[in-house]
Amino acid sequence: MQTTSKKVITRDEWEKRLSDVKVRKQDMNKLVMNFLVTEGYVEAAEKFRMESGTEPEIDLATITDRMAVKKAVQSGNVEDAIEKVNDLNPEILDTNPQLFFHLQQQRLIELIRNGKVEEALEFAQEELAPRGEENRGFLEELERTVALLAFEDVNNCPVGDLLDISQRLKTASEVNAAILTSQSHEKDPKLPTLLKLLTWVQNQLDEKVSYPRINDFSTAMLEDPAV
Amino acid sequence: SSPNMPTSAPSNHSSRPEDLIGKLNSAITPYEAKLKALRDLKNQIIGNRTKKLAFLKLGAVPSVAAILSDAAAAEGSGGDAWELHDSVLIQSAAAIGSFACGLDAGVKAVLDVGAFPLLLSLISHANDKVVDAGARSLKLIYQSKLAPKYDFFQEKNMEFLLSLLNSENENVTGLGASIIAHSCQTTAEQQSLSEVGVIKKLVSLLGGSLLQRDASLESLSAIIRDNQEVASKFVGTDNGKALNVMIELTKDKYSRTRLLACMCLISIRNTVSPYLQDLGIKNNLVITLLDLLDDPGQVGDESPFVFSSLITEKEDMQKLAFDANAVERMLEHLKKGSFHGKRLQGILLALADLCSKLECCRDRVLHLKVFDFAIDALAHDSAEVRTAACIFLKNISRSVKNLSAGYFMNETVILPLVQLLCDSCTSVQISALRAISNVVVDFKPHKSLFTQSEGVKHLVLLSKSMESAIRINAVCALKNLMFLANNRCKEEILLELTTSTLASLISDPEAAVQEQALAFVRNLISGTLNSIEYVFGEDDLLLHAIGRQLRSSYAYEVLIQGMYTLSNVASGNEFHKEAVMNQLFPSAGNETESILAKFLQSTDNRLRTAAVWTIVNLTFPSSPGACGRVSELQNAGIISMLKNMTNDPCLDVKLRVRMVLGQLLIFGDAST
Repeated sequence: MQTTSKKVITRDEWEKRLSDVKVRKQDMNKLVMNFLVTEGYVEAAEKFRMESGTEPEIDLATITDRMAVKKAVQSGNVEDAIEKVNDLNPEILDTNPQLFFHLQQQRLIELIRNGKVEEALEFAQEELAPRGEENRGFLEELERTVALLAFEDVNNCPVGDLLDISQRLKTASEVNAAILTSQSHEKDPKLPTLLKLLTWVQNQLDEKVSYPRINDFSTAMLEDPAV
Repeated sequence: SSPNMPTSAPSNHSSRPEDLIGKLNSAITPYEAKLKALRDLKNQIIGNRTKKLAFLKLGAVPSVAAILSDAAAAEGSGGDAWELHDSVLIQSAAAIGSFACGLDAGVKAVLDVGAFPLLLSLISHANDKVVDAGARSLKLIYQSKLAPKYDFFQEKNMEFLLSLLNSENENVTGLGASIIAHSCQTTAEQQSLSEVGVIKKLVSLLGGSLLQRDASLESLSAIIRDNQEVASKFVGTDNGKALNVMIELTKDKYSRTRLLACMCLISIRNTVSPYLQDLGIKNNLVITLLDLLDDPGQVGDESPFVFSSLITEKEDMQKLAFDANAVERMLEHLKKGSFHGKRLQGILLALADLCSKLECCRDRVLHLKVFDFAIDALAHDSAEVRTAACIFLKNISRSVKNLSAGYFMNETVILPLVQLLCDSCTSVQISALRAISNVVVDFKPHKSLFTQSEGVKHLVLLSKSMESAIRINAVCALKNLMFLANNRCKEEILLELTTSTLASLISDPEAAVQEQALAFVRNLISGTLNSIEYVFGEDDLLLHAIGRQLRSSYAYEVLIQGMYTLSNVASGNEFHKEAVMNQLFPSAGNETESILAKFLQSTDNRLRTAAVWTIVNLTFPSSPGACGRVSELQNAGIISMLKNMTNDPCLDVKLRVRMVLGQLLIFGDAST
C-alpha cells in the first residue's frame, strides 16, 4: 500500500492564512487580565487595568487578601496563613477537611525544618493525630509526615520530599484554589487551556498536513515545515 | 537529638482552652484582649472537630454568646469604638458559626444559649462584614436538623424571608435559601412559598454566584419534592427555560452543583412523570452521577444515594444504568477501598437497586466478583453498612438461576449472615433475616448447611421476638427454609421450633405473622403423604389452630394460606379428609354460615380459588368416604352455591368449580 504524501503548506501560505483570521483585542486583553487575576498579580492587574481599560472579573481587593495567604504559605508561615483565610471566610477551612489537613501537615513540616523537634512532636500529637481519627482517609499521609520525626538526617530520608519547597507550593496552590472557589471564581486561568488546545490541534493536523508549526510556546515562532 | 535551641513559646501554650475562656469570662480583661482571645479561639476551632468538642465541654459557647450579646446591645452607643465593636461582633459570630458547623452538639449549645436571635439581629447591620458573619453562621445552623423550624405561615416571617432572598449580599440570599431547604417540609408550606413567588426568585439565583446557585438548588429540591403542582409550576417557569437552566447545571464545573442539579431533576422526574423522560436526559443523569463517584469528598459520598433515587423501582432506568456500565464503575470504587462507611453504604445500596429486578445485572455482579466486597461488608463497623450489605445479598439472591446452582448456599455466605441474626441493631437483624429468607430458597433437597450452622436455632429464637417486624421476617425465613425440604430436614426444624410454638405463631396477634406461619405449615405438609401427619401431632394442635384462624381472621392473606393448608391436608387419605370436614363444619350445629360458604362468596379471587380446591380434594371420587362428604356439603348448601359459580369471572375458580361438578356426576346428583 502506498501512503499518499501529505500536503505541504509553505510558510508564506500559512502566514497569509493566519493574517486572515481576526482576533479581537479586547478578547486578548481579557485573557491577560484573567491570567493576572487568577495567578494573583495584583499590581500588574491594576496597572494593566489602567493602561488597557480592561475591567477585571473580580474585585482586586479580594486578590490582595488571597495573595497574602498564598505568600504566607509559600514562606512557611502557615499559622499566619490560616488566620488570614479564617478572616477572609471562616467557612473555607471548616468545610474543607482535606485542605485543613494539608495546612496542618505543612505546619508540622515547618516545625521539623526548623529543628523544633519537641514542639513538632507535641503538635503532631495534639493537632495531626486527631485529623487521622476524624478521617481515616488521611492516615496514610499522616504516617508519612510523622515519619519525618524518626530520621536524623531529614533531608535524605525516604519522606524527605515533604521538605521540598514544592510541597509548600502545592499547599499554597490548594489554598488558593479553595479561596477562588469560595469567591465563585475559576481556579484555573484560561491561557493554559488555550495552549493545550493548540497542542492538540497541531497534533491532529500533523497527521494530514505538513505546515509551519509552533514548537516553542514562549516565542510562538513558526518553524518551517519539514519537506 | 536536636540541639538546645532557644525557641519562642508557641502560641498554643499561652492560649490553652481554659485560659482563653477565662479571659473571655473575666470582667477585668480589657476589651482588646477579649477580642484577641475570641480570634484565637475561633482560629483554634475552625476545621478542628476535636477542639470544638473540647471547648464545648468547657462552656465556651455561653462565654462567647455573652460577649456577642453585650456587643450587640452596645450598638448605637456611638464613638470611635465602633471598629472594635464590629470586630468583636464579627469574631464572636464567626466562632459561634464554627461551633455549629457540622456538629450537632455545637448547634444545640448555640441554640440553648439563645445566640440565634442575636445572630439574626446582625443581618441588618450597617457593616457588610458583620452581616456576612451573622448570615454565614445562621446558614450553618440551618444546615443542621436541630435548627428551629421556620414558620412560613406567619406573615412577618414570610416577609423577612423574602427580604433575605432579595438582598444584594450573597451570604444573606444563601441564608434565605438555606432556611427554605431546611424548614420546607409539608405540602402546605411548599404551596405557600410557591404562592408568594419564591420559585421565580430562586430561579433567578440559579444564575448567581456558586453559593447562591447551590443554595437555590437545595431549596428548589425542598419546595418541589413530591408536590405535583409546584413541580409543574417550576417546569413552566420562564416557558421552560428554568428547567433548561437546571439541566445545564448538571454539566457545571463544580461537582456539588452537578449533584444538586441531578437531585432536583430526579425529584421533578419522580413527581411529574411527563417531564424529563427523554432518553438523552436519562442517560445524562446516569452518567453524571456515575462520574460524580470519582469525587473524593462529600459529593462522592452522596452521589450513590442520589443514583439510587434515580433507578429505584424503575426497570427502564436500571437497564440504562446497566448499559452504561454502572456495575463496573461501582466495582472500581469498591476496589479502591478505605473510605467512609457512608460511601460504602451508598454503593452497596445502589448495587442492590441495580440488581432488584434485572437478571443481567445480577449476572454481571456475580461474574465480576463484586460479591466478595459485600460479604466483607457484613462484618463492617457501621450498622448502616451491614444493613446495606444484607439488602444487596437479598436482591442478588433473587436470581433463580444462581440460587438453584447453589451459589449462595455455602459457608462464606451463610455463616456471616447467621451471625448477623444476633446483631445488636434491629434493622441489621431484619435485613439479615430478609437476605436469609431468599438464600434458603435453595432448590437442593438438603439444607443441611443451614441447619447445621445454628441458623435454625437463631431463627426460632427470633420468631419469639417482641418486635413484630422481627417475628414476621423470622417466620418467613423458616417458611422458605421449609420449602421443598426433605423429611429429615423438616424433622430437625420442627424439633427446634416445636409444634406448640408454631401453633401460637398461627394465633399471633399480627396478621402478617399468622400468614407466614400458615404458609410454613403448608410447606411442612407438602411432599410425601406422611408429612400431613404433622398437623395431627399433640392432639391435632396445629389443625385446631388453623381452624380457629379461619373462623376468626379477617385478613385475606391469612385466610388464603389457611385454606390452602386445609386443601393440602384434604389431599391425603380418608382420615385426613374427614378431619378437614370437621374443621369446616364443626358439630356445634348452629345456624351461622359455614366458613366454606363465606369464602366461596368472597370478593377475593384467590380465596374463592382456595376454597374450591379444598372441595375438589374432599370430593375426590376414588376416596371411600367421598359420597358421605358430598351429602354433607349438599346439606350445607355448598353444592348449590357451586352450581351458581360455573361462570365465575375468575378463570381458576371457574375451572375448579367445573372440576368439582364433574366429579359429582359420578355420585349421581339426584336433586338437580
